[in-house]
This record gives sequence, C-alpha cells and structure tokens, in this order.
Amino acid sequence: MESLTAGGFSSSPGARETYVFLRILDRLEEILIASLMAAATLIIFVAVVQRFAVGVPLLYPLVYNINLTWAQELCIYMFIWMAKFGAAYGVRTGIHVGVDVLINMLDQIWRKRVVLFALFCGALFTAIVGTMGAKFVIELYPTDQVSPDMEIPSWLVYLCIPLGSYLMCFRFLQVAWAYYWTDKLPHHDQAHVEGVEEFDRHAAGPHAGGAR
Amino acid sequence: MSALLIFGLLFGLMLTGMPISISLGLTVLAFLFTMTQVPIESVGLKLFSGLDNFGIMAIPFFILAGSFLTRGGVARRMIHFTTSLVGHWPGGLGLAGVTACALFAAICGSSVATVAAIGSIILPAMVQQGFPKRFGAGVITTSGALGILVPPSIILVLYGVSTNTSIGTLFMAGIVPGVILALMLASVTWFIAWRNNYPRLPRASWAERLRALHDGIWGLMLVVIVLGGIYSGIFTPTEAAAVAAVYSFVITVFVYRELKLSEVPKVLLNAANLSAMLLYIITNAVLFSFLMTHEQIPQAMAAWIVEQHFSVWVFLLVVNIILLLAGNVMDPSSILLIMAPILFPLAVNLGVNPIHLGILMVVNMEVGLCHPPVGLNLYVGSGIAKMGISEITIAVLPWLFAMLIFLVMITYIPEISLWLPKTLGVLR
Repeated sequence: MESLTAGGFSSSPGARETYVFLRILDRLEEILIASLMAAATLIIFVAVVQRFAVGVPLLYPLVYNINLTWAQELCIYMFIWMAKFGAAYGVRTGIHVGVDVLINMLDQIWRKRVVLFALFCGALFTAIVGTMGAKFVIELYPTDQVSPDMEIPSWLVYLCIPLGSYLMCFRFLQVAWAYYWTDKLPHHDQAHVEGVEEFDRHAAGPHAGGAR
Repeated sequence: MSALLIFGLLFGLMLTGMPISISLGLTVLAFLFTMTQVPIESVGLKLFSGLDNFGIMAIPFFILAGSFLTRGGVARRMIHFTTSLVGHWPGGLGLAGVTACALFAAICGSSVATVAAIGSIILPAMVQQGFPKRFGAGVITTSGALGILVPPSIILVLYGVSTNTSIGTLFMAGIVPGVILALMLASVTWFIAWRNNYPRLPRASWAERLRALHDGIWGLMLVVIVLGGIYSGIFTPTEAAAVAAVYSFVITVFVYRELKLSEVPKVLLNAANLSAMLLYIITNAVLFSFLMTHEQIPQAMAAWIVEQHFSVWVFLLVVNIILLLAGNVMDPSSILLIMAPILFPLAVNLGVNPIHLGILMVVNMEVGLCHPPVGLNLYVGSGIAKMGISEITIAVLPWLFAMLIFLVMITYIPEISLWLPKTLGVLR
C-alpha cells in the first residue's frame, strides 16, 4: 500500500512545525482506528463468552451479575467512529474506489483538471456534511439527551460526524494539493488487499505500509 | 423525470473518477437542496443513523477475520488437506485449488481474500509441478469468487442489511449454489487437465489424509463455529463474525505462529481501512436510497413494469443485463448497495423471492469480479501470478463461461437457492 504521508509537505515553506504536526495527526488517526477495531471486536467477543458462561452451571456464580447489555451499543458507536475517521484515513491511502474508465482516456491536461474537480467535490461534500454535523452537535449540547443503553450524552456520540468529516475534508485538500504539485495520487494497490504483502515482500522489498 | 435527473447527475459525477460514496452523497445533497423542501439537516442525522444497525457490524468483523486468515497458516493447511483428497485425479493441484477455495470461502466472506489466500500458496506450487501458469491463474481467479457466494459472505450481509432480509437465511441459501458452482468449476478444471494430460500427484493414503485433516482442523473448526453457531441460534451473524475474528487471531498468532504479535496493529489498520471504506459507501448508499424512496422512484418503476405486463422471465433477464453491465464499471459492494433497494421492491412486486434475488445478485457480482476492467479477482490473480491483465483475462475464459451458464441456472431455477432454506423450514 502506497500512502500519502506528511512527507509530501516537507518541501513547502514554513515546513518543520507543519511537518511534525501532520505526522502526529497521521499517527493519531492510525492509532485511533486500529484501536477502535480491536476494542469493538473484544467487547463483542467477551459479551458472547459471558452469555455462554451464564448457561454453564459451574461458571454461573462467577458471571451472572455482569451486565453486558450495553456491549452492542458500544460496538456500534465504536464502529461508526472508526468508519468516520477511517474514511478520512482512506482518502490518504487512496482506498475509496471510483470509476476511472473515462478519466483514463483523457489526455494529461484534462485528466488533471477532472481529477482536481473530483477531489474538490469530495472536499465540498465532506465540508457540508461536517458543518451540518457541527450544527447538529451544537443544538444537542445544551439538551440532556443520552444514548439508550449506556446513557452517554448524545452530542458526544454524534461528535464523530463533524470531526471525521472535517478531517476527511482536510485529507481531500491535502491530496489535491499534493496532486497539483507532484501529479501523484495516493493509490491503494488493490492486488495487495489483505495480506498478499506477506508473499510479495520478498520479491518487492519492504514497502511503505500504513503502520510503520 | 426526477429519476432521470438523479441518475444523470450520479453518473456524471461518477465519471469524473471521484469515489462512488462521494458521488452518491453529492447527488443526494444537490437534489434535495434544489428540488425539494426536505430539511437538509435530516441528511446529517442519516449519516449516523444509517450505520446504527448491529447487522452491518458483521462486515468489519468478517473483514478482520479475513485479514488474519489470509496470513497463510490456515489456507496452507486447507490446501494440504484437499490435495490429499483429490490430488491424484487429472488436474490434481487444480482440483485441490477449487476445493480449497470452496472451503476457505466457508470461513471467509470476501472473494479477494480467498483468491489472495489460496492463490498465493497454490499458484507457485502448480507452476513448480509443471502446470501452465495460465491454467493455475484461471482456476484460482474464478474459484476465489466462491468467497462471496458460500457463507459467510460480506456481499450477502450488505444485501440483507439494505433490503431487510434475514442474513441467516441468505447464508443458508448460498450453500447449495456454492457447492454446485464449485462442482462446475471443478469439472471444467478436470476436463482441461484431462485433455492436456496435466500432471497428477501420487494418491495419498488414508493415513496421510487423516494427518492432513488433523493439521487443518483448527481452520476447519471455524466453519463449524460460524455456520453452526448461527444456525443453532447461539450467535447472531454479527456475533459469529466477532467470534471468528478473535478465533482467527488466536490461531494465526498463537497456534500456527504465522504472524508476530508486533504485526497485529498493521493487520488491524488494514482491516479498519477497508471496513471504513465499505461503511462509508453504506452510509451514502443509505442516503441515496432515502432519496429514491422520497421521490418514489422504485414505486414508479414497479407501476411501469406492471403496466408493460413484463413477465418474471423478462424482468430477470433485464436485471441480469443491468447487473452485468454495472459490473464493468463498479465494484460489487457499490453495485449491490445502489441496486438492491431499487430492484427489491420490483422483484417482490413480481413475486420473485427476495432470497432468490439476493443469490442472483451475488452470482452476477461474481462474474463481474472475474472480467476486466474492474474485476478485482483478476487484479489479485495477476499480482500473484505475475501475469498481465489481458493474458489472465484469456486464461479465465473457460471458467467464466461455466460461471455464465451457472448464472442462467440460478436465474431461472429459483429452487437451487430456495430448496435448502425451505427444506429446513426457515423459509415458507
């Protein structure tokens, strides 16, 4: 997987601080989505095991008073958060698939224009959604609305829409900027989805993956 | 009229190469903003509530399980097991490849992962044995497509979620078609190998077979856990997927030791990346189908079809053509998420069973996965076999042809899909 990292920005003016900031942002994004993935899986697994154990007489006294009814809700929220931030990460790794039949037939200049237009549409859409989400969260903030099972304040739950969408918007602009100057788009090599890397590593040498 | 506008805008945006999810979302926003009085704020809420469904969460779990399973150990032992069973027939390793793909498909919900997992191990072995590369690439690229037909299947989960059909029943309906397709692909393999006198392996003794079964038992147990768990009512499909993810993590890291603990974060990140992409398409597809319903487009189409006195026969033919054409430009999940909410009401209107429609759509997606320009299996296959896309396209032709025959069978013999769920009493 070839990914656009903060590296592409090191040459722009005022560089050092921006570079460090972007590296931290990249890392945080990666850590957040990978941890959400792991945590959600574990929670559901534990909930299933607990339900199973309640049915076993020997284990019943140990587990009967653990209440895990909130597990499903928490799992859904974690995955929604993962989806919003992961979508932003996906812009950086180029995993969002599009129809490229037409643009591949265009000449260089028009191709560049169309691709930039598409990237700006992405930025526009995510900016609109982020703003709608932000308005929604601000309206919810003074209310004492909470989620059904865990009773977390609703505004906190919905916070992923503005945060994730604005981050995604930023990623689209970042990709557009890098494309404008370097003609390079992040490209998720689809032939390497899920683990063929293992096999290919010896042939192609170490490659720049998401987590280093 | 509004249908024309919506689809025109959607295709226009798609052709610029922007992500399909974004073109769906922008179409909805643009249309709602200019043509209707629907408060746009309600769209923001849909972006959250569209995912607020425990059924959808089976997708990230199955993707995670697949990411662990493709790390070699399980696939290699499955291949070893199937080779010991069928390796001595004409086309030995090829047949073993088809069978291994079918078995792997029963623990993994994605075609691409199946091709990657089985192909990366069996292709080099086949070349070493003296099979032409083309033959091996053709077998594995097409057999890998079983991944989305044999349960569990991410595409069937998507169909179930977007049409409110029982995922358990869909999974069950996929079993018989999966077996039939595997048999058809195996027959083609056998025939080509027999005609060209490709190498066979020495017949394995029963002791060797038992040993191979014993080695592979950890992976094979997963079939029992996932399918057994769902049908005995112990888990929901989503819980089964989570258990499968943890189980495959444990066997890959601790039992087979194919993956170092320090590499796990990378697997998690890759799985999260892929899942987030799918979930993002889902959110926007939910928005799109909200727009469809709001504009009553499926209803209008249904009324039109009734007016034309289309028979079910013609309807299914048209559905197949549309899906096969769509398979030339889009990936399976996007096609399914856009088309299922539209086709579902039409099919129900004409008396087509929703389960049958689901299996039919999946088989169409399988065909789309195996031919250019967007067939992902081809790209994975060409990556593993180090073959050009045009060469591998020719290589898959015999099997692709069998798949098309299979598609016709699935389309016009609904009983193939419906027999098992009906016999077991899950479907009336």
